[in-house]
Amino acid sequence: MAQERTGGARVGATGVIRQISEVSGWIAATMILGAVFLTCQMIFIRFVLNGSTVWQTEIVVYLVVAATLLGLPFVQKHKGHVNVDLLPMWLGPKGAKLLRVATTLSSLCIIGVCSFYGYEYWHLALTRGWTSDTVTAVPLWIPYLALPVGFGLLFLQLASDCADTFFNLSEKSNGAV
Amino acid sequence: SELRLSHQWSTKDIRHNVAQMVADEVAAADVDLTIKIFPSKSLFKPREQYKPLSRGQLDMTVFPLSYAGGQRPAFNLTLMPGLVKNHDHASRLSDSPFMDELKAEMEKDDVMVLVDGYLAGGFVGKDKCITRPEDVSGLQTRAAGKSFEQMLVGAGASIASMASSEIYSAMQTGVLDAANTSSSSFVSYRIFEQVSCYTPAGDVALWFLYQPLLMNKSTFEGLNSSQQESLLAAAEKAEAFYLSQAKIQDAASVEVFREAGVEIAEMTPADFKAWRALAKDTAYKSFVESVPNGQFLLDLALSVE
Amino acid sequence: MDPLLLGSVVGLITILILFSGISVAMGLLLVSAVFLVIFDGMRSLELMPEIFFGKLDSFALLSIPMFIIMGASIASTRAGADLYEALERWLTRVPGGLVVSNLGACALFSAMSGSSPATCAAIGKMGIPEMRKRGYPEEIATGSIAAGGTLGILIPPSITMIVYGIATETSIGRLFLAGVIPGLLLVSLFMAWSIYATWRSGERSAAQVSYSWSDRVEILPRVLPFIAIIVGVLYAMYGGVATPSETAAVGALLCLLVAMVIYRLLSPRSLWAVLRDSTKESVMILFIIAAAGVFSYMLSSLFITQSIAAWIGDLEVNRWVLMAAINFFLIVAGFFLPPVAVILMAAPILLPVIVSAGFDPIWFAVVLTINMEIGLISPPVGLNLYVINGIAPDISLKKILVGSLPFVLCMLVAILLLCLFPGLATWLPDLVMGPAY
Ligand code: NA
Ligand code: NA
Repeated sequence: MAQERTGGARVGATGVIRQISEVSGWIAATMILGAVFLTCQMIFIRFVLNGSTVWQTEIVVYLVVAATLLGLPFVQKHKGHVNVDLLPMWLGPKGAKLLRVATTLSSLCIIGVCSFYGYEYWHLALTRGWTSDTVTAVPLWIPYLALPVGFGLLFLQLASDCADTFFNLSEKSNGAV
Repeated sequence: SELRLSHQWSTKDIRHNVAQMVADEVAAADVDLTIKIFPSKSLFKPREQYKPLSRGQLDMTVFPLSYAGGQRPAFNLTLMPGLVKNHDHASRLSDSPFMDELKAEMEKDDVMVLVDGYLAGGFVGKDKCITRPEDVSGLQTRAAGKSFEQMLVGAGASIASMASSEIYSAMQTGVLDAANTSSSSFVSYRIFEQVSCYTPAGDVALWFLYQPLLMNKSTFEGLNSSQQESLLAAAEKAEAFYLSQAKIQDAASVEVFREAGVEIAEMTPADFKAWRALAKDTAYKSFVESVPNGQFLLDLALSVE
Repeated sequence: MDPLLLGSVVGLITILILFSGISVAMGLLLVSAVFLVIFDGMRSLELMPEIFFGKLDSFALLSIPMFIIMGASIASTRAGADLYEALERWLTRVPGGLVVSNLGACALFSAMSGSSPATCAAIGKMGIPEMRKRGYPEEIATGSIAAGGTLGILIPPSITMIVYGIATETSIGRLFLAGVIPGLLLVSLFMAWSIYATWRSGERSAAQVSYSWSDRVEILPRVLPFIAIIVGVLYAMYGGVATPSETAAVGALLCLLVAMVIYRLLSPRSLWAVLRDSTKESVMILFIIAAAGVFSYMLSSLFITQSIAAWIGDLEVNRWVLMAAINFFLIVAGFFLPPVAVILMAAPILLPVIVSAGFDPIWFAVVLTINMEIGLISPPVGLNLYVINGIAPDISLKKILVGSLPFVLCMLVAILLLCLFPGLATWLPDLVMGPAY
């Protein structure tokens, strides 16, 4: 019973994380689409109306940067990040398993570091009131927010993948006994 | 010990030469201090240098101070149209109470100035000369810096914002009709191949950009006294070199454009006055509105003869 | 430590980490972090998100997701099949006509897509089953599409050219033009090989279908949307409407509209599928670009980049020996790493060496791209091989590899021709945009 309940809670937690990653991906996709429309709007204003296009380039860039960061957990969820698994193939099943634990943990570490310092950088921009050095003067905490959020969600998705493989492995070995 | 200096220019640029000069002088002084230069944005992107400098991650940089205008709005005065008339005026400005105020602002970011220096720039037109505000009306224009964009909008120009590296192809395909940037960028991006007229910095010029050699203050204070002295001595020598080279740079750019068969236009004092009047209503006004002690700083700058 | 020795240590550890199965981008971040902490101190970790953000903060890069959307939206329609079918009806008498048609379709499709896997998928989805049905050998059916797909990054628009342009500050418009003639040369070589291979394997095994002239004329209008898109994008890019980086947005919008209006791609589900796939590919590539940016900051900060460049520059070797060595290095790097990662890590080191040895950076971009194309169809990381594997899961990877090997040789021939006649790459950009500087 108790085991079932923790199992259910775990599935619940990873399920929620997977949902969040999916939503994050939708937001990223919308931002990319928004960047397409905004760039076309800029070309229209400039080429057809011969008007000023001061702010568009900057916003478009921020949209794509934010889309990249928010897309990270989504791509992780769908196993879309490219990797080279030469060593695991060469090491055989047991070594591969160990190596996978090592790579997952080091991924968690490095993404954790990026989330933490990403948060710090965002916080610095917020408290010091940094803006971009353009006429638009975008408050930089807005685009920088994508750093802690994107890396943070990637961290969660990585942790959830990690939990999944770990529990799957242990459940399988339990079944064997 | 070793100091790291980063800048965005090639090793042929005068701003690199200034940095190199300081590095060489310090090395010659034999005070156990070396300066390692990272040119051509090989370490940080041009606009990303001030933050690591102020946090002590980078020791020195040659840096257009207005790039950091988003962090210290007062710095926007270092690329304000019509504020500086010519190189000698710029040099007087560097030693004025106005600059002391700016240096106090830098100190808040733990940044200090080693070498003062201004570089000038001008306008290019694809089909016609640009000397007066009326000339840019209706043209797709690329301006260097926020204040210039505001002033040009006031003159009826349409602003297209892009990196200076894109000016060449944008002029070529006709996306852009006019552009404004530094003399050295005009030459290094070979803009003279695409334009019919160049308005360089002459006796009067609108476009002056403060590009000092900056250093992290705590790092400087962490050096021993002989190291500090040799660094300051090197900086003084480099500053004189910087000023003389800046003037030569403008003349050289005119020569390059002339050889390429580009018409050279001149801005008269009356033209300059017209631009400055326009700037007062646009760029100056918006600066004063957006910076708490803006009017005070602007008056200080304008009071320098 | 001597920077060159340190460089070898960093190189070795990077290879080990990347081969461990960690994702390429995270591996690069990890290696960078470790060496930054050791040599620049703990505090340099502070800089990582800042540099990561800064590397992405570039207007030219944003064209990457847009060129991907271009390809993905058209790929989700019947357009790819229309394209090779039209070519097939006209080329039916040529031996191996269907293979040649598929290769031609790949080349045409490349003119709309900036990425190779997208091109591969667009044509292969319909092309491979059709070729198998008609009895073409499986090696040729899969190998030709895998290789044809690589044209996506040579024939403009091209993601790798954009990345190269940003890394080396060369004009993206010029780089795009430089890929055109080598792209045509390469597809001709591919076609020549396919004709020979099908002829040798016994033409009769492949079923001949004959078409009447009315069949041939009737299909032409179905190719019109392609022509319209390509002309539209070219006009936007070279006709003064937009800069090359902005043109991508025009292309993406055009392709989305064409897919929706002409190919009736209207259901929210299929539109989301297009957007989802483009987002996935873009984010994957941009993540690698940003991580490679952090990696190259580390290399530069430890003075490794500068030392290697100086070291190569001081080697007194013949410039062609140097070029051969560089090509060898690039091909090997391409075996293991995705193109954008190789370009971002290698370009800052190689470009000064290339230029001082008297090679043209635009010409080099083309040679580099063809090297990267080889990597796309070679193990262990060959993005196109995965795509083919997804389309035809029942064909073994070995067969696909055997099928693509001859095309790799074609690419090597193309590199050789480019070395003999550099004008193949530089003539068109010089003609359209004036002499280079
Ligand atoms: Na392409
Ligand atoms: Na490969």
